[in-house]
Parts: sequence; structure tokens; C-alpha cells
Amino acid sequence: MPIIEVANLHKRYGDVVAVDDVSFEVEEGEIFGILGPNGAGKTTTVESIVGMRQPDGGTIRVLGLDPRRDRAELRRRVGVQLQESELPEKITVAEALDLYASFYADPADPRALLDELGIADKADARFDKLSGGQKQRLSIALALVGKPTIAVLDELTTGLDPRARRDTWQLVEDVRARGVTIILVTHFMDEAERLCDRLAVIDSGRVVAVDSPAGLVDRVTDEQRIVFLPSRPIDVGVLADLPDVNDVDRSGQHLVVTGTGNVLHSLVTTLAAQDVIATELRLDRANLEDAFVSLTGKAFDSATTAA
Amino acid sequence: MSALTKITTVEARLFFREPTAAIMTFALPIGLLVVFGSIGMGEDAESGGNAISDGFLPVMALSLSAAMLGFSVLPTVLAAYREKGVLRRLSVTPVNPVNVLSAQLLINLAAATIAAIVVLVLAASAYDLGTPGQVAGFVLTFVLMTAAIFAIGLLVAALAPTSRSATSIGMLLFFPSMFFAGVWTPGDLMPEWARPIRDVSPMGAGMEAMQDAWDGAWPGTVNLVALVVVAAIAGLASARLFRWE
Repeated sequence: MPIIEVANLHKRYGDVVAVDDVSFEVEEGEIFGILGPNGAGKTTTVESIVGMRQPDGGTIRVLGLDPRRDRAELRRRVGVQLQESELPEKITVAEALDLYASFYADPADPRALLDELGIADKADARFDKLSGGQKQRLSIALALVGKPTIAVLDELTTGLDPRARRDTWQLVEDVRARGVTIILVTHFMDEAERLCDRLAVIDSGRVVAVDSPAGLVDRVTDEQRIVFLPSRPIDVGVLADLPDVNDVDRSGQHLVVTGTGNVLHSLVTTLAAQDVIATELRLDRANLEDAFVSLTGKAFDSATTAA
Repeated sequence: MSALTKITTVEARLFFREPTAAIMTFALPIGLLVVFGSIGMGEDAESGGNAISDGFLPVMALSLSAAMLGFSVLPTVLAAYREKGVLRRLSVTPVNPVNVLSAQLLINLAAATIAAIVVLVLAASAYDLGTPGQVAGFVLTFVLMTAAIFAIGLLVAALAPTSRSATSIGMLLFFPSMFFAGVWTPGDLMPEWARPIRDVSPMGAGMEAMQDAWDGAWPGTVNLVALVVVAAIAGLASARLFRWE
């Protein structure tokens, strides 16, 4: 049974339609991504899920609750990490976590949580002295201190350096390993591809597709492209006749083989039978970004560089 | 511990970590009292032929403290909390962000009260300015004036888009308030045209009524009613207009 159900969500601000028609379901225990360019309606969608916004149309069920009507119960069971929400400058990490822990009947141990998130040594540091990554960790800690069933993480790694981003990703996987269902809002392709079990691609307030990252890529193309340098000259015709191979081409000394299915296996066994070693071998396949471009008809870069 | 108690404890610590707020609230009124008390301002007033109450100096000092808190500290902190998403973040926890407002009001009220008590004790002990003659009327006026000023502060916090603009609006209210309260032109020194405004503006009405109480009389009805009306209108308006994000 899905833990979150969103059906035909519609939300407008005045004349501006923020979310046109969004439907998806989230299963218990998964990391569910909401991916889309800025302004696609991602944040409005999650704000509706956590009861901060009154939808203009459609229905939402979270843990069987109505996010608006059953706000109080929802707040106890859903932890939220919000985009652009800070803490008072001079509050310390330990104070903030103790304060938030006091809001819940059965909170997690704040000290243990700080340890787990790797900011125990910052317990007495003030909020305005923390680095971006540390603030993000504290923010995740605050979302988890109530021992939530669901955690909503909005634009978790925006503004972090690559190292801090990778650490944060690991953290999200650790949280999921504790059995928490996670909704991850992001406009980063690599983040969605690395973390999400399934994701909804949203564009201009509509769901374009819901699938696993690999499933989304397969929808676009299953063609693979293999580039290698043969250890000795080889008859190109033999390769072109192999099953699953669509085309063979030369690029300088390198051969470029495109194909589908088990093309790599066919190619490698054939080369091995002829005692040819494939060096400098590289396998390219479409990635999530290609899938996104194909699904939305937009270049993802131009959609995000405004951020 | 209830959420409000916990939030108030934390917010109180944060209040004292902000040195400007703490200095403005305590050092400014006490400093004024010490400087003007030392040159004998209060004592000489009556013999100078000017009908200025002995209570003028302490009343002014404690009113300034309440005004600094209500016009500056309170709206700046609350507007900053909204601007930075502190209130928004709280709104997705089981605790209502109204608790933060309540905590801020409690802390600022406590600060105003402590500053007032320090001023009164100093005025009586160090500068021989006496004590309020009509204690109940004095305390009532102090509470009503603080309520009126804080309600205006809440309204500023509700209307100001940023903490910076909240500070500016607060200051724009603070200086005319001081003028109409007669800080520079006590008693009969105030020009005729400004007196009606003094009688009903929160700081003016409050200071006038507290000086009356100091001299032993029950505070004027006009003053008290004005304070109640301002507190009620500003309080209700801010409750309607306050945005959490």
C-alpha cells in the first residue's frame, strides 16, 4: 500500500499556476525523487504534501491522513527539511536540537543524532559559524529528531561543495537504511540518479514520467556506444555482422560500435576469439539527463543555470 | 517542560547574546538617569519655576527602555525570524510558531520590567527622586503603555517585509514618539499644538499618566483609554496581518 498518494494536485497563486496536474504514489521505505527545473512546481508539491499549502484541486493522502485536516498528527510523523529556512544566528547546534526534540513525545537522542550526522564536535558552535554542509547536517538532524516515518528533504545539496554533497548523499542512504521513507526534491540529475529508487519528473506543473532512473533512461533509448582501440587491425565487417550491433565506425585509430542489448558481450567474445585485445575501452549509454531532455523537450542546463 | 517554556528559555539566552539589544534596554535608561540625575535635573525642576514632576527623569528612562524594546528589538527579531524562515521551519513541527511570538513578548516584557525596577530603585536610592505616590495607578499605566508599544511593535513586524525595514520603521516611530512624549520638552515646555498628540500617543500618554501617578494622583482617563485603544487596535491588526513566511 502506498504511504503517500497524490492525485491530480492543482495549486495556483493568483493567476499563476504553480502545479497544474500532479499525481504519483510513494511506497514505504523508498527514496522517491521529485526532479525538475526551477519553477516546475516541485516545492509547491511537497509543501502541499506536508500541509503547508491548501491545494486548489486534487487529493493528497499521507500515511492515510489528510495533510490539512490532520495537520497535528502529520507534524508528529513527517520530518521536513525546508529550502531556505535558517535558525536564529546565535543559537548553538545543541540548543537547536534540544529545542526541537522537546516538541515531540518520543524524540531521538539528540547527542546520538549529532554523532551519527558527524557534527558532534560542533555541538556548542553557533548557527552562523557553521559551514553550508554543517548547516545542512543540522537541518537533517532537526528533520529526524522526531523519529519520523517520512522525511521530506527539499534541495538538500544546493550550494554545497562536491565533497559535502557526496557526504550528504551517504547520509540520506543511511537514513533510508533506518526504514525512513524519503521524498527528495532536487534539480540535480546526478543526485537523482545516485539516490532515488523511483522519481517523478515534473515540468511546468505536470508529471512527465514516474519511473526508476534506469527505467527513465530506457524509455528514451537503449542504445549503447562502445569505443575502443584494437590491439591489432581487425575486419570491421565481422563486427558489423554481429547480432545486436547497429553500426561500426572509425574514429582515428579507435573503433566506435553502437548497438543494443548484449552488444558488449558479443563484441568482447568475438574479439577474444580472434585474440584481439580491446584497450582504452569506454562504454557510453544515455543518462538521466538525456532522458530528461527527451521527456521534456528542454535542455536541462538552460533550465537550471538560472538557479 | 512545555514548548512555550522551552522556547522562552532558549529565546531568553539568545536575547542576551545580542549585545546591542541588551545595552539599549538596560544601559541607555540607566545611563540617562545617572547623567541627568547627577547634574540634579529632577530635583531642581520645581524650584526652577517649571512644573516638571520629580518623576519625569525616572519615568522617561523606563519609558525609553520600553520603547526601545517595543519599537526596535521586538519587530527586528520577529521580522528576521520570518525573513530567515525560522517561523516557517517551526510551522512544520508539532509546535505552533505562535509560541515564538509569545516567548518574544514575554522576554521583552520581562526586560522592560527589570529595566523599570532598576531605574526606580536607582532614582529613589541614589538620586533622591522619591517613589510613585499612586503605586497601583503607576503599575497599571506601565503595563498598559508597554502593551500599547509592544502591540505597535508586533504590527511593524507584521507589515515590514524584511528585518532591515522593520528596524527602519521602528526608528521612524521611535523618534516622533520621544518628541510627543516630551522627552525634550517636558511638561509645559511642549508647544501647545503638540499637546493633544502627547495626551493620546502611547509614549506621551504613558509618561504623562505615570508622572501624575508619581505625584500621587490617579492617572488621567484620557491617557489610560488612549493606551487601551492603541493596544487593542494594533494588537488585533497585527494578529490579522501577521504572516509566518
